Amino acid sequence: MNRFTEGLESHLARQGMSRREFLKFSALMAAALALPKRYATQIAESLAAVKRPPVIWLEFQDCAGCSESFLRASRPTAAEVVLDVLSVDYHETIMAASGNLAEEAKKQTIDAGGHLVIVEGSIPTAEDGIYCCIGGRTAVDILNEAVSSAAAVIAVGSCAAFGGIPKAAPNPTGAVSTLDLVKDKPVLNLPGCPYNVVNLTATVVHFLTFGELPAMDQLNRPLFAYGARIHDNCERRGHFDAGEFALQWGDEGHRKGWCLYRLGCKGPVAFHNCPSVRWNDGANWPVGSGHGCIGCSEPDFWEMGLYNVADIQKFGAPSTFAPVVGPVQTIAPPTAALIGGLTGLAIGAAGTAAYMQLSKKDHPDESGGNNSEEKK
Amino acid sequence: MAKIAIDPITRIEGHLRIEVQVDGGAVTDAWSSSTMFRGIELILKGRDPREAWALTQRI
Repeated sequence: MNRFTEGLESHLARQGMSRREFLKFSALMAAALALPKRYATQIAESLAAVKRPPVIWLEFQDCAGCSESFLRASRPTAAEVVLDVLSVDYHETIMAASGNLAEEAKKQTIDAGGHLVIVEGSIPTAEDGIYCCIGGRTAVDILNEAVSSAAAVIAVGSCAAFGGIPKAAPNPTGAVSTLDLVKDKPVLNLPGCPYNVVNLTATVVHFLTFGELPAMDQLNRPLFAYGARIHDNCERRGHFDAGEFALQWGDEGHRKGWCLYRLGCKGPVAFHNCPSVRWNDGANWPVGSGHGCIGCSEPDFWEMGLYNVADIQKFGAPSTFAPVVGPVQTIAPPTAALIGGLTGLAIGAAGTAAYMQLSKKDHPDESGGNNSEEKK
Repeated sequence: MAKIAIDPITRIEGHLRIEVQVDGGAVTDAWSSSTMFRGIELILKGRDPREAWALTQRI
């Protein structure tokens, strides 16, 4: 079957994924995107018919950690989902072809156009870009060619999104981000060191369902994943508010799971959905295992000092409180915007909760397996 | 005598170029090039030693 003419649902069915699993995946994606549950149907309908978009995955100054994150996707039922939502035509680390054959596959996709370009790693510009060459051409050259006929560009990981490690002082190779070079195509950043594959899948699903990239913040990060501060959703937040801090590695507070702020946690200045989506199949995340957040989803986080205490403004309770305002009679535009914002926040929280709940149901072994569920 | 260059070498972590010289069906010489450089050592210089693990584990 031609991968360019086959709809996703029939493709997945051929791979042994049931209709039920497919709908479950759609519901999970709606939850990850913080969309109301009713959108699951729309997502399922769109995905069922969609042609798998061709993807060119470019690796420049990278460690392949983001590729690892991509390949480790295991939920929902799902390395196959993530890999099969996309038709990955070029990816150096996983493709069978090499040398000229690899470059030829990429050229065919670029000539056809309308593809997604996923960039991993920063792009060196010093010395005419010689610090990263593939097939005898510089990274700058390869990127420009790949995006010329692309529909959209997704920068995965902090190196592609913000320059990451290579750009850390003194930036020996003149490394820059994708957005520094790509000006005439929509670019979405999924920073993180590495980024979380749940957020890539959800972004792609949004793109396929609604025909556009999801809403982004001023750093081009999707709001569904980077709209909330880590600190605000942290399981140790109660200890911060209570003034209970770990002061030394392994001290009593550390053993009790108290707040890691004093040990350098950057949760208060970092925006990412790690506390809810987590890592390794939702098993845990850095703060859960006793190390502070290093703020890897923020630009230039390597300059913050891993163990420096983050600079935050502290707020106390005010000395006077404004009276509670009665019901609003007419909704002025600014108020409407505020209400819209609050609704968005509420939906976001509900989505995260739904995502967690749906995710948990995905472990078949815990309650006697999927079989017993099917029989009901 | 023919010279063959394979670039990129895929299914590895990192960027690699291999050139071989073939004479009468046998490889007579070969060159490998790592075609990407970030300068992690230069970036490590002067930093808090407690940060070294975080930087070097990302090589």
